[in-house]
Amino acid sequence: MKKILLTVFLALVFGLGPGAVALRAGGQQGGTDEALFREAKLLVFDKSWKAALDKLDELLDRFPSSALAGQALFYKGECLDGLGGRERDALRAYKSYIRLEDAKPSLIEESEGSIVDLAFGLYEKGDASALKDIEARLDHKNKVVRYYAAYKLSFVEDKKEALKAAPVLSKIIETEKDPELLDRARIALLRVSPESLKSAEESQPRAGLTARTLHIRIRGAGQKEPAFSLNIPFALADLAFSALDEGDKAAIRRKGYDLNKIFSELAKTKILKIAGEDGSLIEIWID
Amino acid sequence: MKHDEVDFFLKETEAVRAEIRAAADAVDWDALPGIIADRAQAGAPKTGRVPWAARLWEGLAPLRMRPVLAGLLGGLLIGAGAMYFILKAPAGRAGADGAYYASGEFLDRAELEMARRNTLDYLERSQYMLLDVFESADEGPVVPASLRTERARDLLQKKKYLNAQLERLQMAKAKALCDQIEALFLELSQMDDDLAAAELGKIRGYVEERQLLLKINLVKKELQSGV
Repeated sequence: MKKILLTVFLALVFGLGPGAVALRAGGQQGGTDEALFREAKLLVFDKSWKAALDKLDELLDRFPSSALAGQALFYKGECLDGLGGRERDALRAYKSYIRLEDAKPSLIEESEGSIVDLAFGLYEKGDASALKDIEARLDHKNKVVRYYAAYKLSFVEDKKEALKAAPVLSKIIETEKDPELLDRARIALLRVSPESLKSAEESQPRAGLTARTLHIRIRGAGQKEPAFSLNIPFALADLAFSALDEGDKAAIRRKGYDLNKIFSELAKTKILKIAGEDGSLIEIWID
Repeated sequence: MKHDEVDFFLKETEAVRAEIRAAADAVDWDALPGIIADRAQAGAPKTGRVPWAARLWEGLAPLRMRPVLAGLLGGLLIGAGAMYFILKAPAGRAGADGAYYASGEFLDRAELEMARRNTLDYLERSQYMLLDVFESADEGPVVPASLRTERARDLLQKKKYLNAQLERLQMAKAKALCDQIEALFLELSQMDDDLAAAELGKIRGYVEERQLLLKINLVKKELQSGV
């Protein structure tokens, strides 16, 4: 069944260009649930949300018992999400889909992620209660959903709410190996709870430099107190240097330093001091 | 009373009336009850020791008649207090004790850098995935369907994180391309059977028709140069 569907889908998308376009443009009523579903998917692919939604609604109205009705619900969520202004309807569609017995794991994951995104969008528009949908996913059985909910919650302006993401983010640091995921969790924890990041890093038996803290201080000419101050896990060192202010990066480069040279110097000296031509001073050390 | 006297009297009365009118105009009738109350309080006999707060309040009493001035003074005091604490706490103080510390501005730049790197990584992985589809279309399935499905799901997960970053950081061109590829991966993630070479060939046709590999290379170049 799946192969047949894909074949027809591919034929429409890739093989029957003009025919498919005509079918789309004509908006003629498809004869079967499969035809409606194919047309809707094509329209989704082209981000023609309204037209796709009409097809999916027709399918759900005319063939409520169709084997494709479930998937149609998922794609309906995609359309409502894409349309904008119908976030709550999209949420309802996704929530209905994940409750279905025959829901596909990959589409469930997608739906859960979309629910988190939609809830976050509603929160940003002033609906504080929408956060419940994100919080409810912090202990989801699927770690992909759990992690994404925690990551998204870390962006919430209300620090008390954002702090609820800390246990899951700490768990990522303690248990995950994917460097991309780890860096995201570190940055997110730095945002909501630097102390949780510190204890999560310290609980890890990481060898050598990665377990240490990188310090950067930048002082303007004649200034006693630093204009820029940073204490972060050494694991984020590479990202930290890339994320420095452009002027500071240029000053470091002008003095002939790159990341490798900085690290090799730090192996020899306790604190690396780079004096800028304008009298500024960059201090870097690891402890 | 003679006529001249009457006339003089009336003129004087008129002058006095004008003075009264001018004096009345000079009075702030809205504030007058407050002034009377304050003066009555000030004149009241004091019994025992007056608390310092009451004395301060008494000293500020005239300001009660001038809410704007009182507000201004209050604002100045709060502002001065805030400035004192801001200037007293140096920028480096936040991370001086060895605890982790990064400013919001730095974290935003770190997010931007991470988005750039991760989008590059996503596009590279997508390229490999599409090239695998190309190869399989020519020579039959190169990797098992289950592995391809897993890879597609992995890429879909990565894309979720990228959405949040690309939207926040306004990397519209990269997002549009990633969206286009995502739709293809959503289809592939649901296929747990081996696809026939003809079907893979159709995907190849689609990718070629939309020049997705060329677009991937162009966006990659831009991201590598930090645009």
